[in-house]
Amino acid sequence: MSSPGSLGHSGQDHGGTGSVEPVPAVAFNNITKTFGAVTACDGVDLSVHRGRIHGVLGENGAGKSTLMKMLIGLVLPDSGSIAIDGTTQHIQSPLAAASLGIGMVHQHFSLVDALTVWENVALGEAGKLDPDAVRNRIGDIADQYGLMIDPDAQVGSLSAGLRQRVEIIKCLRRDPNIVIFDEPTSVLTPDESVQLFESLRHVVAAEGRAVVLVSHKLDEVLHATDDITIMRQGKVVDRLEAATADAPTLARGMVGREVSLRSERAALGVLDVSADPSDSAAKPSNPNDSAPVLRIQNATARGIGGVALLDDLSIELRAGEIVGVAGVEGNGQRELGDLLSSLLSLQSGTVSIDGVQVPDGKSGAMARAGIGVIPEDRHDSGIVLDMSLAENLVLVDQSAVARRGFIDGSALRDFAEKMIDEFAIQCSGPDAPMWSLSGGNQQRVVLARELSQQPKVLVAAQPTRGLDVGAIEYMGQRLEAAAEAGVAVLLISSELEEILDLAHRIVVMNSGRIVGEVDRADANLESLGLMMGGANA
Amino acid sequence: MSGTASGPRVGEWVVLYVVSVLAALVLSAILVQATGGQWRPVVNALLDGSIRNPGRIGETLGTAAPMLLVAIGTIISSKAGLINIGQEGQLFVGAAFATYFGFLIGGPGALNVVLILIFGAIGGALWAGVAAVLKYWRNVPEVLSTLLLVTVGGQLVAYGLSQSWLLLAPLADRGNRNQVSSQLAEGNRLPRLEISGNEIPFAVFLGIGLAIVVSLALSRTVWGFMLRMLGRNPRAAQRSGVAQTKYGATAIMLSGAFAGLAGAAMLAGGGFAFGNYQLVPGFSTNIGWTGLLVALVAREKALVAIPVAFVFAGLRTGSSFVGATGVEGRITDVIQGFLVLALLVPPAVMFLRDRKRARDAATERT
Ligand SMILES: Nc1ncnc2c1ncn2[C@@H]1O[C@H](COP(=O)(O)OP(=O)(O)OP(=O)(O)O)[C@@H](O)[C@H]1O
Ligand SMILES: [Mg+2]
Repeated sequence: MSSPGSLGHSGQDHGGTGSVEPVPAVAFNNITKTFGAVTACDGVDLSVHRGRIHGVLGENGAGKSTLMKMLIGLVLPDSGSIAIDGTTQHIQSPLAAASLGIGMVHQHFSLVDALTVWENVALGEAGKLDPDAVRNRIGDIADQYGLMIDPDAQVGSLSAGLRQRVEIIKCLRRDPNIVIFDEPTSVLTPDESVQLFESLRHVVAAEGRAVVLVSHKLDEVLHATDDITIMRQGKVVDRLEAATADAPTLARGMVGREVSLRSERAALGVLDVSADPSDSAAKPSNPNDSAPVLRIQNATARGIGGVALLDDLSIELRAGEIVGVAGVEGNGQRELGDLLSSLLSLQSGTVSIDGVQVPDGKSGAMARAGIGVIPEDRHDSGIVLDMSLAENLVLVDQSAVARRGFIDGSALRDFAEKMIDEFAIQCSGPDAPMWSLSGGNQQRVVLARELSQQPKVLVAAQPTRGLDVGAIEYMGQRLEAAAEAGVAVLLISSELEEILDLAHRIVVMNSGRIVGEVDRADANLESLGLMMGGANA
Repeated sequence: MSGTASGPRVGEWVVLYVVSVLAALVLSAILVQATGGQWRPVVNALLDGSIRNPGRIGETLGTAAPMLLVAIGTIISSKAGLINIGQEGQLFVGAAFATYFGFLIGGPGALNVVLILIFGAIGGALWAGVAAVLKYWRNVPEVLSTLLLVTVGGQLVAYGLSQSWLLLAPLADRGNRNQVSSQLAEGNRLPRLEISGNEIPFAVFLGIGLAIVVSLALSRTVWGFMLRMLGRNPRAAQRSGVAQTKYGATAIMLSGAFAGLAGAAMLAGGGFAFGNYQLVPGFSTNIGWTGLLVALVAREKALVAIPVAFVFAGLRTGSSFVGATGVEGRITDVIQGFLVLALLVPPAVMFLRDRKRARDAATERT
């Protein structure tokens, strides 16, 4: 699996101490960074070489993003040094990093919703703007890396997957010769990520660039990278060559224990799913013919210019079933989530819970009716970054910790501590500001809140986004447990294998409508793929 | 930048403030010297006027009280993510309401004083409410409407002061003066407490009490929780049942109410600082603007606003003594400007840094 550019390397020495090795593009030397009582990075040594793609793996909160932010100048190390091409550099700001040719695609979006794609891409550029040049450049990058996008679309209207493309294009536009990707593919489809890394591999080899890829998808790391570093609790625990590694080893290295096959599959990507559809097919498709808990009837919503966001969409969910929503990103999945979060008003159609109609777009109505939502972009409506972890756990419903209009601090703290324990949220405590949590730990807070509220219906949109392998496994168990306890689960995911793993019934969305429905037992990747493409079933 | 507010952050704050205030003092000294004055007497005058001379502490406290009230209100609206910058107008309109209804109802003593304060708050709330209606009905940004309403409010009150059926005092009460209201009767004024030669106006206690109440309400109540959620992530708030229209309008109107209350307290509190218990043109004397600055420096913390208001008030009462040193009035204004800037620079620096680093690093793009 070695790239042509990597053939000349011995692969023996990745610590940067070797003498035959060329000077590494990036060398972290004994880097330590603490935040209060938390040691995010603890004496990290890591070298990234030109012409190679370097994967960084680790559990949620292992310190991967922190390490990368030191390279881009957003975080300053407490001790240790960073050398770029052999020269020690004190990178104090992203600007300084940019002048060294370092670019980064961040874990969370930093786009301006009100602007168009090309405006976002050009943002922060000095000098006179030439819109056409920017558009052309976007077109070139799109072609080269398979990241198709309409430069004139407004970013606010894009799905998470498309936004991710914009982030990547924005970074690549400046032709950085050291590129950092912090979980760039968590919302991209496996196909997209394959194409992206194929193209990157060529550029990296041909132009001698260096790439760091942080990811929780083991399969992706195995296929896309040359060298792999595994971090745990701020320390480097293992260095391997991708060519000689396999997924179970990586998973064990990250989590420190064996991880079950199923979560491996979820983390591995589509490739392995085709191998055994059988064991999850054994799951009984829901026999329950009781009245639906959630019923959406003929929902239609139009966006700016009359584009149909939801187009006469109808769907029913029964208690205890997990219904997977498959479909190419941007076909109304986000709007479906928004509708059930009271964030979207319908032009026509109704939503009802247990036969009672719930007003659409009315603040809090859906939540009060018993609909829990794990949104596809947690920063959008899932959490409030400037509030504490504990407060974020009771965003939607404070009744359990409130007494006569006052929030009972100790009740809140107790509840938070329980959740931190149960969901293994890594943090400095219940009062930690939400923004100080790592991406995966933020996601756990959302899960903890939505699951603990005992909803009637749970909408889980890309629920494993940003979670490490261990947490993905746990997430799946919790969703199944919720269903067994009688919750109707709507699983919206761009990862087919996740849906095939968990769902009893699968519906396919296209252009804002449901275009097909299959029982899990009858579903396979091919038929689903056809329906997703638009062929009616 | 460790995430927590304690630790090295406190040190940074102290250093920033010391440096920027020192810089302002040095600049001021240079300015005074360059224009032919002496800096030492100027500093003495500042201190004499604000705290050293007998009775001046009471005066400074009395000046600080309405600034504090305005600042508390500003903190409420900014917690909800709203930018109300029309306090100067809300204060003036509130004072006008207080005057009008105070005389309309008349009546004796304590009860009427309370009513005067309440009507002041109502006036300010209604005036801010205009901005709320424009925002939630017509999508007019509150930062524009509140500002424009300062001018409109000033015109309206001026009109009221020219009409004897509204605010203008009867001829007998105003001598040959135009555009003044009658004086509040002796029994309708806010009491003062005498402590070691200083008269402390009642509004001071009111302001401190309300600062504590608001601080608790914002941090401990479900209502405050919802308000903060709305301010920090409106979409999460919408999903969670914080109706933007209801909570947002409440926040704007409350902040107006505090400005109006400040106006009523200035009216009924009187004293050297705020005149003769009567409404006159220009009555608000920039207290609304200054209160806005106090809120800015206090960075959304109602309790911090208490000392900050005192410092701003001290600058004001102190400056009034500087004129006596022979330094020109305009120079005094510039010095005051320097010092106000010195107080605003550290929060601005920290804000920018917070955004660039801690927030950038961890938040917008973990
Ligand atoms: N600004 C900060 N203030 C306080 N703690 C922080 C800050 N930034 C990171 N941390 C803590 O440092 C640890 C490492 O965080 P980091 O974001 O590097 O993890 P990560 O490996 O990227 O995890 P994930 O896979 O979840 O994205 C976490 O415990 C996090 O809470
Ligand atoms: Mg991370």
